Amino acid sequence: MSIRLNRRAFLRSSGGLMLGLPLLDIMLNNNGTAFAQTGGALPKRYAFVFAGQSIGGDNWAKNQQRINGANVTAEHFVEPAATGAGYALTTPLQPLAALQSDFSVVSRLRIPYNTTSSASADVPAGGAYRDFHGGAAGPFLSGMRSNAANFRARGKTPDQHIADLYRAETPIDTLTYRCQPVFYISGYDFSGRQYISYRGDNQPVGAQTQPSVAFNAMIGAVPTGDPGENAAIAFNNRARKSVLDLVADRRQRLLTRVGLADRRRLEAHFDEVVALEKRIADLSTSGIDACEPPRTVPTDPPIGGDNAGSGSGTIGTNTGYSGEEERATAFADLIHFAFKCDLTRSASLQLTTFQSHMNVFGITTSLGYPIRADLHEVGHNGDDDTRGQFAVSLVLQWHIARYAYLLNKLKETDEGGGKLIDNCAIVFAPEGGHGRQLNDGVTDNQTHSTENMVALVAGRAGGLMPGKHIRTSGAHPAQVFLSAMQAAGYTGNTLGEVTGNIPELFTT
Amino acid sequence: MRSRFPMLVVLAGFACSDGTIGDTLGAPVAAPIVFESVARRLSLVELDRTIEALVGDTTSPATRFLTPDLFTPYDNDYVQQQPSRALIEALDQMAADVAARAMTDHRDAIVGCTPTGAGDTVCMRDFIARFGKRALRRPLSTDEIDDYAALQSYATESVSGVTNDFYTGVALVIRAMLQDPEMLYRVEVGVPTDKPRVTQLGDHEIMTRLAFLLWGEAPDDALLAIADAGGLANAQTRRSVASGMLADSRARAQVQRFHSMWLGYRAIPHPPALAQAFARETTALIDDVVFDNARDYRELFTSSRTFIDATLATNYALPLPGGTPAWVEYGAGGRAGILSHGSVLSTFGKFSDTSPTQRGIFVRTRLFCEEVLPPPPDANVDAPPSSTDGSPCKANRYAQHRESASCAACHGRLDPIGFGLENYDMAGRYRTHDDGYEECTIDGRGEIIGIGSFSGPKELADMLISSHTLDACVTQQMYSFAIGRPLTGDELPQVERATQRFAASGYDFRGMLLDFVSDDLFAQKREPAQ
Repeated sequence: MSIRLNRRAFLRSSGGLMLGLPLLDIMLNNNGTAFAQTGGALPKRYAFVFAGQSIGGDNWAKNQQRINGANVTAEHFVEPAATGAGYALTTPLQPLAALQSDFSVVSRLRIPYNTTSSASADVPAGGAYRDFHGGAAGPFLSGMRSNAANFRARGKTPDQHIADLYRAETPIDTLTYRCQPVFYISGYDFSGRQYISYRGDNQPVGAQTQPSVAFNAMIGAVPTGDPGENAAIAFNNRARKSVLDLVADRRQRLLTRVGLADRRRLEAHFDEVVALEKRIADLSTSGIDACEPPRTVPTDPPIGGDNAGSGSGTIGTNTGYSGEEERATAFADLIHFAFKCDLTRSASLQLTTFQSHMNVFGITTSLGYPIRADLHEVGHNGDDDTRGQFAVSLVLQWHIARYAYLLNKLKETDEGGGKLIDNCAIVFAPEGGHGRQLNDGVTDNQTHSTENMVALVAGRAGGLMPGKHIRTSGAHPAQVFLSAMQAAGYTGNTLGEVTGNIPELFTT
Repeated sequence: MRSRFPMLVVLAGFACSDGTIGDTLGAPVAAPIVFESVARRLSLVELDRTIEALVGDTTSPATRFLTPDLFTPYDNDYVQQQPSRALIEALDQMAADVAARAMTDHRDAIVGCTPTGAGDTVCMRDFIARFGKRALRRPLSTDEIDDYAALQSYATESVSGVTNDFYTGVALVIRAMLQDPEMLYRVEVGVPTDKPRVTQLGDHEIMTRLAFLLWGEAPDDALLAIADAGGLANAQTRRSVASGMLADSRARAQVQRFHSMWLGYRAIPHPPALAQAFARETTALIDDVVFDNARDYRELFTSSRTFIDATLATNYALPLPGGTPAWVEYGAGGRAGILSHGSVLSTFGKFSDTSPTQRGIFVRTRLFCEEVLPPPPDANVDAPPSSTDGSPCKANRYAQHRESASCAACHGRLDPIGFGLENYDMAGRYRTHDDGYEECTIDGRGEIIGIGSFSGPKELADMLISSHTLDACVTQQMYSFAIGRPLTGDELPQVERATQRFAASGYDFRGMLLDFVSDDLFAQKREPAQ
């Protein structure tokens, strides 16, 4: 592998004590949890925040748009004009203004495809089957080529690689959250668009969509109270364990009586029950209380109904919106807390699904420019008054604001002698780019494109050197993810069929 | 387990099917094939109804805690179900929530005996046996009762600072039962038959099938007593039991839900007041045809009248003398039956308007039961079609679909169907021109290739009926809903026979359900091949 480390990271990984360097600080532990006991280096965390959209509008050049009925030529595209540090933030990146030194932009990423053949057998390594939404999802997530437009990843995703790395060290191997709970289109359903985490070839991991359940599965699993109530808590915890023991003990009785197909399904269920018991036990000794957890259970927003017309260009109400923003805040709070308290070192947060039909009327109204469309249609049509780069940039800004919320919380949290964000690698990436259309291989300035993709990497874990714009010449998005994985401790140099990181992420 | 990814993954646009209804149903009659099945998890709605029946909880706990089911188009498709951490964590919390509320709201009715104290093992075991039978849908063995009774120790132990009593133990039993895989999944064991991988189901397993099919929830005490008495392997017994169940209001709710998923209007994309009015209208027609007057089922599509309130009278521009909700005649014009309802017409739209292509897909997939294959990857299905002459009119714009042979091959089977419904907008209102374009006159003429031309819901329904596509398809849809997954090709001959019986009965929908449950296949299960 060719990962390049800065001096500090090198010294850290060499394990020696170096006076005068921050190593002394990182030996310290502010929150009195695991690291004080082990005396080891601070843990490194990986998180992936996903947006189900591309970055440019169909048939609009990068600097062209229509805003409130007027055609405008001005930069709104996500990719900054200048490279290196100190570049001017584009519209989508505005929520990260105060964090500019904490993240890098990696641009001109590209998922390869066969330019002369759209046959399934001709997809190149790490490449996309030439049907954008269903064909690009797999290589994007896993670095493994797709062979159909089925939204399936054919390999393990980064969050699961990191989960494998630290499974023995934290109570929770990884958090898998999704903010968009339903598909919104009458007559159809997700069909794989709802997964960004895979344990392996076509082994998707179902995400949690309800913030209250996610909260209670983590913080709520370890009730707190004044000393007088502790006896009751201990009693309740014992009782809960007995209930789960009883449920788990049904396994043998049931599995011996059923056929193989039933057995597989029920075994998977029982395995999850046993895993839940272990998580609860591990959480209860993980020192959550010392981390001062939030104790207010988040509210689950109501789930919206179908959109008024798939791909509506004139939605004027908020039908088909399920409080994705509130869900994102609640899930980000949990990821932040889990990282702070070292309950897990891996997380994935799917803000919107692949080919998302979330209604954006409400969220763009609150940003001052109502767009009467659903998210997918913003890239294709926007609405009559607001479309092209500005519309796409605005909804991307909404996604990035959710990412910024998480980063800010990580940055506000002390750890060792620095901040929690210093020990994180937090990736943000939207589903697609803007360029040659993947499907027809001919038309330019298209939203159904795996060209000119962009990803953001925040944090300083593993020697990441954030704060700049890195313009690649067609690096694979998986190379960005791999860089973040390596920053979080992954020692391999491939993700799926893709090899090599983005070296500039680790250099000044 | 066989993996069946749905063919209908395409969101939009067009596709074609090589098959015709004759291809799918005209095969030579083969020996009946026992339906393959795998342990099916209760859908969220089934779980909510079952919990409500068990402990009186009306808060829809499964819907509140669990990740939403996928609709393909039915929410009970077991191929889509996979156990996940998200599911297990939600069940753990849901069970605690339900148990706590049960001990507050309906404690004595649930327990059924009055304990002499925290350690009253007789009352506890009595409760476990009774509640457990309801929850697991079969009698519990003594060993199993012992296992659950062990939780009574939490009722009797003395811990400083803990207030516990008999009901502490009851709540824990409820929590455990609600998480028992035999509660959450329909586990069918049966006994082997001489056919490979085929088992004959036991009485309680058969009753469970009946209850979830006809009521959408687990069997209640009365049904379990029937199962206890045995004899459900007998077709006539099943028929008679099912007949009684169909007289219950729970059967109405279930038949309504089936239709809302089949025809796609379960989450009507209109403002709540209008959506509710549409739902009432459609519910009234289904009740009238299937239950209240046991009409020829085809009248669901041909009915000359509809039940509307003042909101809908205005919406449809129909007269409603007196203004109170009532049945009114459509009179002259193109309207008839459920295809005229705003509920159904609001579905399968695109680009904020009706989509002739999507409505064509609706008719092909839901009413013809044809497969519509995804569009070729290089088709742009995300922008509305544009006309070559610059005309904004939909008829001109959709002509783009017929300009190349590869597009026309599929769109020719779809778009003309939708154009036959274009006079009816997404709220079922009649219109004479495209929304916002007075110059774009809608001629309302549609065609089903190979069958004939039509205009409006009434003529479309007449054609679906005269071509014998609707009766075959509704049977297939019901079977798919009943067995919890899409049908495979080798299972279609069974559907064809059922359709013939359906026709012979004068299209008695409840009769079709009764025929289904009294078929030998209903009481058998086939293990998937490995």
